[in-house]
Amino acid sequence: MDLLVIALILAGLYMAWNIGANDLANAMGTSVGTGALTLKQVIIIAAVFEFLGAVLFGERVTTTIAKGIVPIDMISIVQPDIVVLGMLAAILAAGFWVTLATFYNLPVSTSHSIVGSVLGFGLIAAHNGIISFSDIHWGELTRIIASWFISPALGAVLAYLTFSVIRKLFLHRAKDLPLVEKKFISLQLITACYMAFAHGSNDVANAVGPLTAALKVMGVLGVEVPVWILVMGGLGMVIGMATWGYKVVETIGSKITELTPTRGFSAEFATASVVLFHSFSSLPISTTHTLVGSVIGVGLAGGIAAVDLRVIWKIISSWVATVPIAALTSALIFVGFEVIFL
Amino acid sequence: MKDYIRSVLDVVAESPFVPLEAHAKKGVLAVEKLAEAMEAYCAGNQAILEERTGEIDKLEHEADKLKQKIRAGIPSTVRLPVNKKDLLSFLKQQDSIADYAQAAAYWMTLRPCRTIPEEIKEGFLELMNTSLKTARLYNELAGELYKLLATSFSKEQIKETMTIIPEVEKLEHDVDVLETALLKKIFENEDAIGGSGVCHLIGLVERVGGIADKSASAADRLRTMILRR
Repeated sequence: MDLLVIALILAGLYMAWNIGANDLANAMGTSVGTGALTLKQVIIIAAVFEFLGAVLFGERVTTTIAKGIVPIDMISIVQPDIVVLGMLAAILAAGFWVTLATFYNLPVSTSHSIVGSVLGFGLIAAHNGIISFSDIHWGELTRIIASWFISPALGAVLAYLTFSVIRKLFLHRAKDLPLVEKKFISLQLITACYMAFAHGSNDVANAVGPLTAALKVMGVLGVEVPVWILVMGGLGMVIGMATWGYKVVETIGSKITELTPTRGFSAEFATASVVLFHSFSSLPISTTHTLVGSVIGVGLAGGIAAVDLRVIWKIISSWVATVPIAALTSALIFVGFEVIFL
Repeated sequence: MKDYIRSVLDVVAESPFVPLEAHAKKGVLAVEKLAEAMEAYCAGNQAILEERTGEIDKLEHEADKLKQKIRAGIPSTVRLPVNKKDLLSFLKQQDSIADYAQAAAYWMTLRPCRTIPEEIKEGFLELMNTSLKTARLYNELAGELYKLLATSFSKEQIKETMTIIPEVEKLEHDVDVLETALLKKIFENEDAIGGSGVCHLIGLVERVGGIADKSASAADRLRTMILRR
């Protein structure tokens, strides 16, 4: 079993690295694109605040991933061994799908992947008769999936309102427009911190949620999510940002030069607020998708010269594909493990 | 190189307003060259005329390419802060400025300036000069687009932009007056110029005057685009 724990930790770290390299970098890219921050500044801010968000506020979503979808406690009473295998299968499946998506530049969310793969394990457990199908927390799952639709929409509405207010109060009254934009650069420093904090609080769960569930069942952990697990997840994400994410930040920064500081501020403020609100509500959502919603919101408020709504279809199709694929892969890996280990 | 990222930030499409300004610049540059070509024509300098005509031709072609790029860049999924139809109809007028400059330059190369009286030459230079002024002012107007977008169409900025449009229209009217006066002079001198000469010069008046017409109607469409957001 010790070997399995090490495997789980490694898989969790890989997931954390991937989230840091991609999702965090996506969230921070806007700050570089507007010219508000340099690449170095962004990486430092992302590292510090991502870590703080994960450690100080990552527990709620982690709990949701660990036991909010599948009744892990119930399974562990009957057969504790399979929880560890199942969680390893889940994190491997999610990691595999996310890697594949990265390779093909698909806008797949790590949150959606991990929810799908944990669900896959729950379904196979139900199929094997360990729990009944009705024991899976369908209500919670519905809430989570609904939040995937609601969060980008909320981002859009909030960003629309934020930019409209900025436009009315500052842009339309500006005697010296460049000065107004310059002032928003310092505000963007704050929203960049806010963004990294919010992201860390929500996405650390994708890396350490399954790990937490497995370790709890093995009796390694008490009832609460221990800080060291969140610290580990936070570090993994920071390393991902530092080793690969900076390239992603650069790419995104160079793509969205259309965003001026006032626009960037509106989108970031809206995204971070929506993500943090969901962390508070224990709901795992996609920061990137919320950011897209927010950018669209600023665009519809007349802040951006051209927004391409084709992205919406890309996002929706990634939702539709991710959950079944992650669930199926997770179930298949689990079945393989069962044959090998049990 | 492949990025290996999962990003959906292509939500921010390329702005059509950047090439739109570049397109306006190509137009006015072609008219600047035409003014030089006109001077060369009246001075009987065929070599310079040919050279300028080649340059105008190149500018017109570049403007066309920009126009196509702008059109291709706004598929139905892209949302702009202005009405897309308005933008396209404004672009079409703006594109005609270079077209007219090109047509006028070509027209001059067809027939040398031999039997034209001095006062008519002066009339052409004046007409050309006023047309050029109109195109320049129009280009200034197109440059305001950037500020409109930056302030997200503030009332102040709209007002500032709107004050330029009547000035363009005023210049266009001046050109109309000059055109009529020049045509009158051409017919007064029809014996000296000859029938085919008259025919040629009328065509030239139309083409040079067309530049101001198109500048004014592009300005008008721009106004519609801004006000009908």
